[in-house]
Amino acid sequence: MSAAWLLLPLYLVPVVSHSEVLLTILIFTYILGILAIAFNIVFGYAGQLTMFHGAAFGIGAYATYLILTKFGLPFWLALVPMFGGILVLSLLVGWICFKFRLREFYLAVVTLAFSELTRLVVLNWNSVTNGTLGLLVLDKPTVWLPGTGIVKVDGTLAWYLLTLTSLCLVTVLSQVLVRSWVGRNFAAIRLNEDLAQTLGINTFRYKLLAFTVSNVLAAFAGVLFGFYTNYIEPSQLSITQSLDAIAMVLLGGMGSILGPVVGAFLLTGLPHVIEFSAELRAAAYGAILILAILVMPRGIVGLFSRWRHVS
Amino acid sequence: MTQVILGQFLNGIIVGTLYGIIALGVTLTFGITGIVNFALGQFMMIGAYAAWHFTDITHLPYPVSVVLAVLVAGLAGFLSDRALFQFTRNNLVNGLLVSIGLISVIESGALLLYTATPKNMDFVLSGSWTVGAITISRMKVVTFGVLLAVIGLTWLALANTWLGRATRAYAQNPEAAMLMGVRTEMLQVGVSVYSCALAGMGGALYAGLYSLEPSMGALFILKGVEAAILAGVGNLAGALVGGIILGVTESIGSLFLPTAFRDAYGLVFLVAILLFRPSGLFGSQK
Repeated sequence: MSAAWLLLPLYLVPVVSHSEVLLTILIFTYILGILAIAFNIVFGYAGQLTMFHGAAFGIGAYATYLILTKFGLPFWLALVPMFGGILVLSLLVGWICFKFRLREFYLAVVTLAFSELTRLVVLNWNSVTNGTLGLLVLDKPTVWLPGTGIVKVDGTLAWYLLTLTSLCLVTVLSQVLVRSWVGRNFAAIRLNEDLAQTLGINTFRYKLLAFTVSNVLAAFAGVLFGFYTNYIEPSQLSITQSLDAIAMVLLGGMGSILGPVVGAFLLTGLPHVIEFSAELRAAAYGAILILAILVMPRGIVGLFSRWRHVS
Repeated sequence: MTQVILGQFLNGIIVGTLYGIIALGVTLTFGITGIVNFALGQFMMIGAYAAWHFTDITHLPYPVSVVLAVLVAGLAGFLSDRALFQFTRNNLVNGLLVSIGLISVIESGALLLYTATPKNMDFVLSGSWTVGAITISRMKVVTFGVLLAVIGLTWLALANTWLGRATRAYAQNPEAAMLMGVRTEMLQVGVSVYSCALAGMGGALYAGLYSLEPSMGALFILKGVEAAILAGVGNLAGALVGGIILGVTESIGSLFLPTAFRDAYGLVFLVAILLFRPSGLFGSQK
C-alpha cells in the first residue's frame, strides 16, 4: 500500500493553503493523473502502446452526462451503464487489435484510427452530442457524508476532496492489480511476449484485460473532467488528449505506481507556474517533454529508483 | 455525374501525391533511423510558410522560393536531428514522443512568428486547363508533376546509385552494411534531413494551392503515416500509391457519403488493410 500512503498528506493541502490556483492545478493533476495511471497499466505494465485512452476519456464524459439527462439517473448510477458501454467498446476494439496480433507501431496506429473514428462520430452526431459546440454540464455529482447527508459536490474544495479520493482509490486499485498474478502476467508479456505465451499465459486475454481496465479508468477520469469543468467537447477525445497522457507517464516514470501522477503534476502545473502566453506555454510543454525523454528516459520517479516498483 | 466523379478522382490523385511525399519521408525515416517522425507534418508547415514568406514578403520568384523553402526545411531537419533525433535512433517510443514534443515547439514558433490567421499566397500560376468536360487548375497539375518527379527520382536514385544501394542495404541489415563500409551515422543524418526536406517541398507546393495555418501539419502527418502503412512500411513506390489511394478514397468517398466523415474513410480502409494484409498492400506476406 506504500504508494497510496504517499498521497494522504495531500489531504492537508487545503488546510495549509487557500490558493484557488494551487487547488485548481491540483484538481487537474488528480484527474489527469487518473488518466495517466490508466494508460500506465496498459503501456507501463503490459507493454502495449495503445492510443485509445483519449477516446475513452471523452466518451466517458459524454456517455455519463447523456445517460444522466436522458434517463434522469443520479450521477453515480449513470456511471454503471457508461462503464458497461466502455467495457463493450474496449473489448471490441481490443479484440480486433489483439486477435490480429498487432504490435508496437501498428497497434498504436490502429487504436489511434479507432480513436479518431470515435471522435468523428461524436463530432458529427449533432442531435445527441451537439457537435463542435459541445455540451454544457449543468449537473454536479452528489455524495453522502456522515452528518450532513447528501450534498452536491460544488466549489473548489469539494472537488479537491472528491478528485483526490478518486485518485487514491484508482491508485490502490492499480497497485492491487499490478502486484497480483495478473500484474505478473502483464510484466511477462511486456518483457517477452513469445516467452510468456510459451509459459502458458494466454497473452491475448491478458492484453485485452489490460486494455479494457485502462479504458474504463480513463473513462472515469473523463467523467470527473467533464463534470468539473462543466463542459464537454469533441476535442476531449482528440489525439492530443491521448498524447498528453503518454507524455505524463513517460515524464513521471512508466511502470511505477505514482510516476504518472508526478508527470501529470509537472505537465499541468509547470506551464501555469511560469507566466507564459499560450504559445510559449505550448512550446514549454514540448520542451519539457523532449528534455524528459532525452535526459531522464526512466522518468522522474526513475531517478529515485528506491521508489520504483520492481516487477 | 461522371464528370464530377472524374474531377474528384483527379483531385484525389493530386492531394494523394501530397500525402505520398510525406509518406515517403515517413517510410525512409522509419527504415533507416527506426523511428516515426511525427513532426514531419510540421516540417511541411515550415516549408509552406517559408515559401509563402519568400514569395509574398521578400518578393522572390516562386520557383526560387520553393528551392529556398526546401533548404530551410532541410536545415531545420538537420538541426532537429543533431539536437534530438540522434539520441532516439531505433527507439520507436522515445522517437515518437520527442517528435510530439517537437510538434508543440515548432507550432508555437509558427504561431508567434506568423499568428494563427490563415495566409493566402498570391496566385503564382493562375488559370486552368480544360480537357473535355473537366477543368483542372494549372497549379495543381504542376504540383502533381513536380511531386511525381521528386518521388520518381528518389526511387531511381535508391535503385541505381551507390548511396541508394547503401541505404537499402542498411535498411536490411545495419551491421552488414556497416562492415561493407557504409558510413551509417552519416547515412542516418542524411536520410533524416532528406525526409524533412521532402516534407518541406510538399509544404512549399501546398502553399501555392491552399491557405496556410500553423496547425496544418497535424492532418498531413496522419495521412502520411496512413499512406505509408497502407503501402507497407519500407516500400517507396508504394508510399506514393498509398497516398494516392488515400486521397482518391477520401474525395470519391465524400461524394457518396457524408463529407463530415471524410477523414474516416481512409481510417476504415487503413484498419481493414492492417488486419487482413498486415505488411501492407504491396508488402510481401510472411
